Amino acid sequence: MIQYIKNIWAGLSSSFIGMKITWKHLFVKKVTIQYPDQRFTLPEKARNRLYLEMSKCNGCNSCAIACPVNCITVETIRVSPNDPQQEVHFNGKDRKLWVSRYEIDFAKCCYCGLCTAACPSDAINHTTEYEYSEYKRENLVYKFQTLTPEQVIEKERLLAEFRTQEKVCHPETDKKPADNKTADKTTE
Amino acid sequence: MDLITIAFYFFSALTIVFGAVVVFTKNIMHAAFSLLFAFFGIAGLYVLLSADFLAITQIMIYIGGILVLIIFGVMLTTRITGVDVKTGKIGKIQIGIAGLLTVLIAATLIMIFSTSKWYLADSKPLDSTVNEIGTALLTNYLLAFEAASMLLLIAIVGAAFIARKKH
Amino acid sequence: MENVNFLYDLLGRNIISVVLVISLPLMFVLVYALVAILAELKVSAWIQERLGPMRTGPWGIMQPIAEVVKLIQKEDITPDKSSKLLYNLAPFIIFTGAYAAFAVIPFSEYFVPAGINLGLFYIFAVGSISAIGIVMGGWASNNKYSLMGAMRSVAQLISYEVPAAMAVLSIVVLASTMNMQEINKLQTGWFWNWFIFGGPGTLAKIWVIPFTLGLGLIYFISSLAETNRVPFDIPEGESELVAGFHTEYGGMKFAMFFFAEYANMFVVAAVLTTIFLGGWNSPFNTFMQGPFWGVFWFVSKAFSVVLVQIWIRWTLPRFRVDQLMYIGWKVLLPLSFICFMAISLFVMLK
Repeated sequence: MIQYIKNIWAGLSSSFIGMKITWKHLFVKKVTIQYPDQRFTLPEKARNRLYLEMSKCNGCNSCAIACPVNCITVETIRVSPNDPQQEVHFNGKDRKLWVSRYEIDFAKCCYCGLCTAACPSDAINHTTEYEYSEYKRENLVYKFQTLTPEQVIEKERLLAEFRTQEKVCHPETDKKPADNKTADKTTE
Repeated sequence: MDLITIAFYFFSALTIVFGAVVVFTKNIMHAAFSLLFAFFGIAGLYVLLSADFLAITQIMIYIGGILVLIIFGVMLTTRITGVDVKTGKIGKIQIGIAGLLTVLIAATLIMIFSTSKWYLADSKPLDSTVNEIGTALLTNYLLAFEAASMLLLIAIVGAAFIARKKH
Repeated sequence: MENVNFLYDLLGRNIISVVLVISLPLMFVLVYALVAILAELKVSAWIQERLGPMRTGPWGIMQPIAEVVKLIQKEDITPDKSSKLLYNLAPFIIFTGAYAAFAVIPFSEYFVPAGINLGLFYIFAVGSISAIGIVMGGWASNNKYSLMGAMRSVAQLISYEVPAAMAVLSIVVLASTMNMQEINKLQTGWFWNWFIFGGPGTLAKIWVIPFTLGLGLIYFISSLAETNRVPFDIPEGESELVAGFHTEYGGMKFAMFFFAEYANMFVVAAVLTTIFLGGWNSPFNTFMQGPFWGVFWFVSKAFSVVLVQIWIRWTLPRFRVDQLMYIGWKVLLPLSFICFMAISLFVMLK
């Protein structure tokens, strides 16, 4: 009998305790963020969509090698010394490789950040942009190359031209790059 | 024809039609649910006779109690076991006996109906019948009332006894 | 039986006024159900420290309307192997049962659709019609979960109608009337004249206060069970029975179930308000007392009770079936009998 009354009392009082707790929670500040209107301030090192600065990229392919999901595709063409268009990197060194193709498939990207760590010239970095959903999966493949297809064909032609020239004139090859370097320095 | 007459015919038709469905349908569930409307019609008729307590008791006991129990019982046996409970075919002898009985009872009823003198009560609207019923049950009809409650108690005890006998 | 009804006074007793009197509570139910659905969404969200719907209208207050529009647009599906007639009939029966109770609810001193003398008894009687509706829907769906839900629902309803009826009967003994309007009139005055505080009378009523308080609690708990609300929602029990008796229902028919549930919640809250919380009486004697304020007091009291029901829903977990039966038969029933005896004794000795 005493157990019975104790049971009833325990049931009742524990419900009241529960109701007291939920009552308190009624007035607590809500955790919901009204997303499109309000935004969460991103942490300093938040990893979102990647961005490649083509002027810094030297086409070394280490990002594509580091990528665990193979979402980066890099194709490069060597710069021909005869090319009228020569570029200089931000660190003063001249460009050795034209990046003819640099694509990141963000449908595959897992935002691990290994590519940014692997990049020797800090060309690839995370941005704060995270709203880029698309209706077609192909639209998620971002193309970062700055060269147009015509330019690519032109560069390939120049390189091929240079190679044949080189083979005809100088069977030994180590002289040409030095030439190139001096030429660059003069332009500076 | 005033509103009360229309209501009377409506409730009578409800009772008779659904009573007929209860009798003639093959599906026991349909019969049980038709009882709902039949009972409801009877409750309506009670209201028209200004027997308000009786009408509500009709709904309470018959719809809320007995009908729910009937449906509960039928539901436990049908569909869930895969067998539809239906009323079976009836033999010729049974039909004969039932027909004879029906004719006899109908004849008696019609005879009583036509020979008896009908007294019309003066139709002043009654205020409430609860007080009268309560007083009558606990004074003049106390013995019948107590006997009925004893009967119900015995039935409950018996049902509990049958239900508990497991081995 | 004097029938005080402002519409009859205004328009006379003709077919228009009768139809108006019948349809006024219906409009009230529709508006109230929308408000209650919003309250359910918002309270649940706030208890869980969320904001709830915010996109439809300012602070999301149009959300229930959006949901109703959605439900109306949905395809009307009848399962192939169901019992078609009963399947389509069940939502209407349930709503009829829920709405029939509004006939005797006294909204104000001058408005009660039908001021019959057996008001309380009538509410209990029509409550059983929705039980039939639930069984009908559950059985006609031809689905195991629906059938289980329907059977649980009926078992629960039968069990909890007894303590609820005992609680109401005790107040009937105390008030010696079953007319809801009369019960309200008895409780006029300060809030200590309410029946939850022993009703009107001399200081001797102090002896019944614990019992009336207990009865109020018992009635409230039983009413939760009768309306299939959490923690007594085992007929629906999403985690075990998908949605119980309305698993197969969709679109407008589901909306009917939904409306009926909220209408039922209001009915039990209204009964609780009428017999325990003074109905349309102001708690402070003549302050804001009157026929118009009566509606305000009645609706706000009843809606507070509904809010408590919602609050409990988001606090307590669901009972097991055996726990439910234990509470119904072994706790609430004996306690309500004790209270009933005590109050009868008090009335006899008074």
